[in-house]
Amino acid sequence: MSALDRTIGLAAAVAATAAIVWASNAPMTVHGSKQGMLRLAWSVRPERVEVCREQSPEELAKLPQHMRQPLVCEGTSARYRLTVRREGDLVVDRMLHGGGVRQDRRLYVFEELPLALAQTSIEVRLDRIDDATTRPSPRGNQVVAVESVPPHLSLSQRVSVEPRHVLLVTYSPERRTLVVVDDSSGR
Amino acid sequence: MERLALRFLRRADSICDRLYTQEFNPLYQSGTIVVALYLVLLVTGLWLLLFYRVGSPWESVARVTADPWTGNWVRGLHRYASDAAVIATAIHAFRMFAQGRSWGPRVLAWVTGCLLLLLTFICGWTGFVMVWDTFGLLLAQAGARMLDTLPVLSEPTSRAFTGEQPLPMAFFFLNLFAHIGIPLAIGAMFWLHLHRLARPRLLPPRRVAWTVTGVLAAAAIVRPLVMAPKANPLLLPQDVPADLFLAFWIPIVDVVGSRNALGIATILGVALLVLPRFTARPDARSNASSVDEQLCVGCNQCALDCPYGAIAMVDREGRGSPLVARVDPSLCVSCGICAGSCPPMGVGPPERTGRDQMSRVRRFAVEPGRRAGEIVVICCDHSSTLFAPALAAAGAAPYAVDCAGNLHTSVIELLIRSGAGGVLVLACPARDCWHREGPKWLVERVYHGREAELQARVSPARVRIEHVNSGDRARAIELLRAFARDVAGLDRPSVDDGLVEEAECAVAGEVEV
Repeated sequence: MSALDRTIGLAAAVAATAAIVWASNAPMTVHGSKQGMLRLAWSVRPERVEVCREQSPEELAKLPQHMRQPLVCEGTSARYRLTVRREGDLVVDRMLHGGGVRQDRRLYVFEELPLALAQTSIEVRLDRIDDATTRPSPRGNQVVAVESVPPHLSLSQRVSVEPRHVLLVTYSPERRTLVVVDDSSGR
Repeated sequence: MERLALRFLRRADSICDRLYTQEFNPLYQSGTIVVALYLVLLVTGLWLLLFYRVGSPWESVARVTADPWTGNWVRGLHRYASDAAVIATAIHAFRMFAQGRSWGPRVLAWVTGCLLLLLTFICGWTGFVMVWDTFGLLLAQAGARMLDTLPVLSEPTSRAFTGEQPLPMAFFFLNLFAHIGIPLAIGAMFWLHLHRLARPRLLPPRRVAWTVTGVLAAAAIVRPLVMAPKANPLLLPQDVPADLFLAFWIPIVDVVGSRNALGIATILGVALLVLPRFTARPDARSNASSVDEQLCVGCNQCALDCPYGAIAMVDREGRGSPLVARVDPSLCVSCGICAGSCPPMGVGPPERTGRDQMSRVRRFAVEPGRRAGEIVVICCDHSSTLFAPALAAAGAAPYAVDCAGNLHTSVIELLIRSGAGGVLVLACPARDCWHREGPKWLVERVYHGREAELQARVSPARVRIEHVNSGDRARAIELLRAFARDVAGLDRPSVDDGLVEEAECAVAGEVEV
């Protein structure tokens, strides 16, 4: 191996290492713009709407002892409509339902929208679509609604955000309302 | 596609051979370098683990990073070693694909290799999330969004990273558990990856291993790692110091969306798994070696030499030696190394046993134009056969063989006794044998008396084994000239007329048949 080859080999090794080091810490621009962001994120248990029926003595007699419940209820979770308006313009209009295959799990809201740095008015609404009165009620059956979140949640506010800050709208279970969190100081 | 890849690989091999010599060419060592880097990652990872706190991940890593003596460079080495492992894995996979060593009986190694790459990426993901800086948050959010596109979870995992609630310590504990558990799975996968190899070589030559580790450690000292700001889900980072080897997919997710990115990754992953199925040469299994039990003397040499553990010695039924060799076709890659290891020439792939080699070389020996005293160059199909015309132009008689490793030493003897001035075997570099151990066994048989050895009646001065890669045309010519000069100083070779006559008869007999 000649001295020239050795030098080139060494230079190639140094260049390859430098490339690894650079690519290992390469600056990646994630958010180029200086805009802020409106993030809607919360999770609530949707209202449970159940149709209950009393079982007749004949029906109860057919069942094993341990399964004889006079009242049987079948139901589902209510659906909700999420709307977001920014400066009066409708930017989100979505139907939401509970998670899971049977849609009986918690309802999850997650939306991210760019927000101008200037003062902006935002209006967020979550309205229940289904309730006890909208469900068909067969003769003699009771329709029961088990409320866990208010049927209508709304937040209307003028907001302003710092560049690249996130304005979080979430649900406060204690206050049973939507609240704005602007905590960019770290948690 | 495979041919194009092979052409590129040959060029790269040739350049690296020139710059680093065959022995230390890192391209030949890509697989073993991955294992060496895995060990570096284990050692540095265990050290860093001593200082990591799941209750305050960023703060604990920041403390380690701030310590220049026992913290920062160790963390830097850990990072750079993981990146280098990704590169070495990619080179190794490319090499195996280009050389067609990825399907047939080698499918297990290919599939486990692909899984190893996947595990490396997942392990890298958990490692960066552990730090919980802006880059860790970015990876966590991107990964969670991809996971959420699968209809398997009733509640999206993304909600953990929205800033709605502080991230629980359990998350970091689970992540740490995964970051420790996945390397264990990688270790198990390594075992499976090498499962079908006899005498797997796990580590590169010591000098290569220490050089790679030293260079990466030096890089970690010269360019110390800098902590990125702590992750804050309510603050959008502008520029993040990203590791492109393990996070190259994030910009793609931004462009095509999480669902499409996951779909693309799945399609590419499956394509990578099955790609060699469509590009590989005809299945080697149909050309598996077989044993002529009447010739087998039960010496065990073929079983010892087989690089894939495909030959076992079993009890013989009937007369003869107590043991007889048996080939497992599902493990045989048809490398033919057993053909070179069998003194009575009773084993080998179809048309490549010692006896087949002898009848072929007999035809070669009596071909018109053969000159007494000429140099015969035995060229391996995987390397020097490519420049056989140049060797012929330089005055030698090239003789191509499938692999120098399955060359029976009787072939060399026959060439010498039929009047060749010398036999130069141009084998592949020892670390780049397509059949793993071909040049190694050939050297042992010719120079060190390993079973099926070159007989003592053949002058060792007339036989030389050299190693060239497929791009080493100039070096091969140089080696030929040097050998020709050395042989010219020897006595005129004696021609065994009986042998030549025998060869002519054998050839005539074959023609009649």
